[in-house]
Amino acid sequence: MTETLLGQGNFFAFIFLFLWGLLIMLSHHNLIKKLMGMYLVQTSVILFFVSLSAKRGGTVAILLPDVTRPEAYTNPLPPALMLTAIVVGVATLGVSLALAVRLYRQFGTLEEGEIFRRIG
Amino acid sequence: MSMHLPVLIFAFPFFTAVAMPLVGLRKRAWCRPLTLIALSAMSLLALLLLATVVEDGPIRYAFGGWAPPLGIEWVADGLSSLMMVAVSLIALLAVVYGDSPLMQGPLARKTALYYTLVLLMVSGLTGIVLTADLFNLFVFLELASLSAYALVGVAGGHASLAAFRYLILGTIGASLYLLGVSFVYAATGTLNMADAAQRLPALLASPVVLWGSVLIMVGLAIKMALVPLHGWLPDAYTHAPDAVSSLIAPLMTKVSLYALVRVAYWVFGPETMTAQIPVLPVLIWIGAGAAVVGACLALIQGHLKRMFAYGGIAHIGLSVLGIGLGNRTGFAGGVFYLITDAVMQAGLFFVAAAASSMHGVRELGELERLRGRMPWVLAALVVIALSMIGFPPTGGFFGKWYLVLGALERQHYLAVAAIIGSTVLTLAYFFRIFEKVYLGRTPVSARSPEALPWSMRLGLAVVTLALLILGFGSDWLIALIQTTAVPKGL
Repeated sequence: MTETLLGQGNFFAFIFLFLWGLLIMLSHHNLIKKLMGMYLVQTSVILFFVSLSAKRGGTVAILLPDVTRPEAYTNPLPPALMLTAIVVGVATLGVSLALAVRLYRQFGTLEEGEIFRRIG
Repeated sequence: MSMHLPVLIFAFPFFTAVAMPLVGLRKRAWCRPLTLIALSAMSLLALLLLATVVEDGPIRYAFGGWAPPLGIEWVADGLSSLMMVAVSLIALLAVVYGDSPLMQGPLARKTALYYTLVLLMVSGLTGIVLTADLFNLFVFLELASLSAYALVGVAGGHASLAAFRYLILGTIGASLYLLGVSFVYAATGTLNMADAAQRLPALLASPVVLWGSVLIMVGLAIKMALVPLHGWLPDAYTHAPDAVSSLIAPLMTKVSLYALVRVAYWVFGPETMTAQIPVLPVLIWIGAGAAVVGACLALIQGHLKRMFAYGGIAHIGLSVLGIGLGNRTGFAGGVFYLITDAVMQAGLFFVAAAASSMHGVRELGELERLRGRMPWVLAALVVIALSMIGFPPTGGFFGKWYLVLGALERQHYLAVAAIIGSTVLTLAYFFRIFEKVYLGRTPVSARSPEALPWSMRLGLAVVTLALLILGFGSDWLIALIQTTAVPKGL
């Protein structure tokens, strides 16, 4: 698994999403757009982690009566962990949106440069 | 009983935090005493934990009875219990210090929520210190960080913008850390630190392990504001409310550095990190650079809290340098300096908080207004400054002494030069402060000194005493670190 990891499709999809998110965060001055980029970065890592559990011909890790071989199931740990990571991501988004709302109410804009100008 | 100590330490701040909004709804005046009780109980248990661990060896706690490699494990060993004592006592001290003069303005109306966030942050830090599971560490890192973003941003205006940037960079750091963990998990198939440490030596040829370790280190370096990834810190600390900055400055970056020490030494191991994956030698250079660059930037600041924030960045660099040396002396010096630096940062931000809340002094140019009016605060500032610069008999001197010894042992003369250079620059910026206080123009109106509340005097007195105790007790503490808190193979 380790040797071929870098050559796999899931890794390239992850790299693409991660860098795209980073680019959005760096190139946009609107706070909400920055948050979109941030969320893309977070989600790309989550998708990558979940993809580690994938297996050819494996089924979801829910015990089925007619499937008794453990090899027939995918690894349940990464999806379970990423459920927690998604909750963390939701909490982060909540706090960040609260801060954005706060800034918008006070300055009437979401453009970072404009807020800086008004702070003086 | 002693077996359950790690989780009891966590339970006190966490359950008090959960109950706090309900209490605050009915009796707002109870919030502060309740927080102080929870943190005092936590500090006592942490001291008990340290005594137990030194006496009987590490305590391992498996959650829900799931055996360690599968379930989540917490480990209280010498280093984590020592760190736990430092974190809980400093949190208690910072909350004691955050009395009514510091709770004016935006914090005054949100007492219950403020204490909820403080306790959540402390429980997150407790989790980081005690956990022995890489993913669990991520969750607690985010619990502590999210509370910190909210605390910094509570004041509105510039503080909210600073908190927003802190959040963006902190989340990138956390994502990189999680990505690194996913690489390590892909290579080893485990998240338990001890288990991963056993499996990693056979897998070192894999680029996945190399990149996993590098991503974890970069992610944590953002969280601890290691130069050149320190961009979020000065704004966040400068614009945060005074009560918040004196709580966050000593805790957040130091505990992130602890997490780096834990992963570098207990998961990958010092030999691997020096030879196969040379992260530690790189950390010496980065630490040395941070120590000098941070001190240079501190020297040119005009805002008191911003100057102290850059001072903190420089001192994180010194601790990182010690950790990177990869020998016993350097490691002990780095950990000792980490704890001393936490106390010094608390003290510096206490002084800045007192100056701004009692006399409205925030800029260096206004410092002359303090002359003769705040004898307590200025006396404490002298001791803290001596320790920051590194004069005996304060803790800062002995920390730097062991760092220099460790660097000489490794024959890394550039590190020695960086420590000395940073010391000279620190001397220079404290000279600027005292010059402004004592040699500035005479104060416009010489009013009688305003009374500082007993809680704030207590906070300053304890910090001052702690720095002297760290100095006089340095032999004992260094010996304790070297006997109980040093990883295998060092």
